[in-house]
Amino acid sequence: MTLNIVKNATCTFCGCVCDDIELHAEGEKIVETKRACSLGESWFKHHTAERLFPDALIDGHPATVDDAIERAADYLVAADMPLVYGLSNVTCETQREAVSLAEMVGGVIDSHTSL
Amino acid sequence: MIYWGGNPAECHPRHFTKYTIMQKGKYTQNGRKDRTMVLVDIRETPSAKAANLFLQIRPGKDFELITALRALIKGQRVNEDAVNETGLPLSKLEELVAKMKAARFGVIFFGMGLSMTRGKHMNSAAVLMLAAEMNAFTKFVAMPMRGHGNVTGADVVMRYTTGYPFGVNLCRGYPRFNPGEFSTVDLLVRGDVDACLVLGADPGATMPQPGIDHLAKIPTIVLDPKVTHTSRLARVHITTAATGVSAPGTVYRMDEIPLPLRPALKSPYPTDEEVVRRIREAVKRRPAWLPGRNGKAVM
Ligand code: SF4
Repeated sequence: MTLNIVKNATCTFCGCVCDDIELHAEGEKIVETKRACSLGESWFKHHTAERLFPDALIDGHPATVDDAIERAADYLVAADMPLVYGLSNVTCETQREAVSLAEMVGGVIDSHTSL
Repeated sequence: MIYWGGNPAECHPRHFTKYTIMQKGKYTQNGRKDRTMVLVDIRETPSAKAANLFLQIRPGKDFELITALRALIKGQRVNEDAVNETGLPLSKLEELVAKMKAARFGVIFFGMGLSMTRGKHMNSAAVLMLAAEMNAFTKFVAMPMRGHGNVTGADVVMRYTTGYPFGVNLCRGYPRFNPGEFSTVDLLVRGDVDACLVLGADPGATMPQPGIDHLAKIPTIVLDPKVTHTSRLARVHITTAATGVSAPGTVYRMDEIPLPLRPALKSPYPTDEEVVRRIREAVKRRPAWLPGRNGKAVM
């Protein structure tokens, strides 16, 4: 298996967002995290690219992503006051999409900050 | 620099070495030796070892202590008994004030120990006031120690898209902001919202129980790399790629510096960005619930 080395990778586990980490990835796993602290190391090693979970669940049953997206849209459109919440472990690009979605369905958008 | 109500040695392990006390700067050629570090907390955490001065205060007395400091820096008299209530003698406070004023550039990093205890927002506001008032004497700033990943980014993105940093209500087609009214905990505990999209968070593990109960009652949709506590009570769960590990993008560091992600793995799952965009497109295809909505601005 080939070793894929990523220099200056960014750790998003804590707010420090260290961007000097060298990751060694082998297949579906990260095997080495140079310069990361112990929290960062376990964070990187914990997330693999394996298919551990079903693509999507509807009412607890495995479903396709397409169906799940349609169902999600139905719920959000039907709601009078939907809430979009979280946004901490996602990228800024995702957050922008989420703000736009919240506006479109006329809802509330909130992050961890308010807790 | 002052760390207040935080334990960076354990929660932000590289904060000391990478950003604060250990680095050498133009005016701090000797690194650690040129810096003074003060830790204010209710118990002696491992971070205390790194501090020049550790001030252990009584729980819930942060606001009182900050207020006393604000008076002291302006040379006003303070009531000694009131100061003793905080668990610290007046002499310690005076020592701290002297250190603060002697600094060429001071910074207060405040953590959850300050912003999540008695006083909450008021404590944060008081720290910001303290830092602002210190600028009459020397350069001083205050910065929150942010927790997981990209919460800072959420603030920044919401600020530049809606004008407010969090808890933004867009129900009327324009943004309204009122923490305590439109913040998640309150909305859920009161049972105001009737659907919820959760991404990059697991409120099912962290919310107060009435909030969790409400999430289970309404249609909840979860996007997460894992099947989380929240997914288990949700109607819809979609597995997504893990941010930074297998999903690219931009995140903000806690001092609001945007940094690119360099994912090392390729995930079999779509990214959050892609899924949210597709939900948005699916919403667009549905009939508008208000005339003139669905992507078109209401004039
Ligand atoms: S490497 Fe450690 S200190 Fe740096 S962002 Fe990751 S968890 Fe935080």
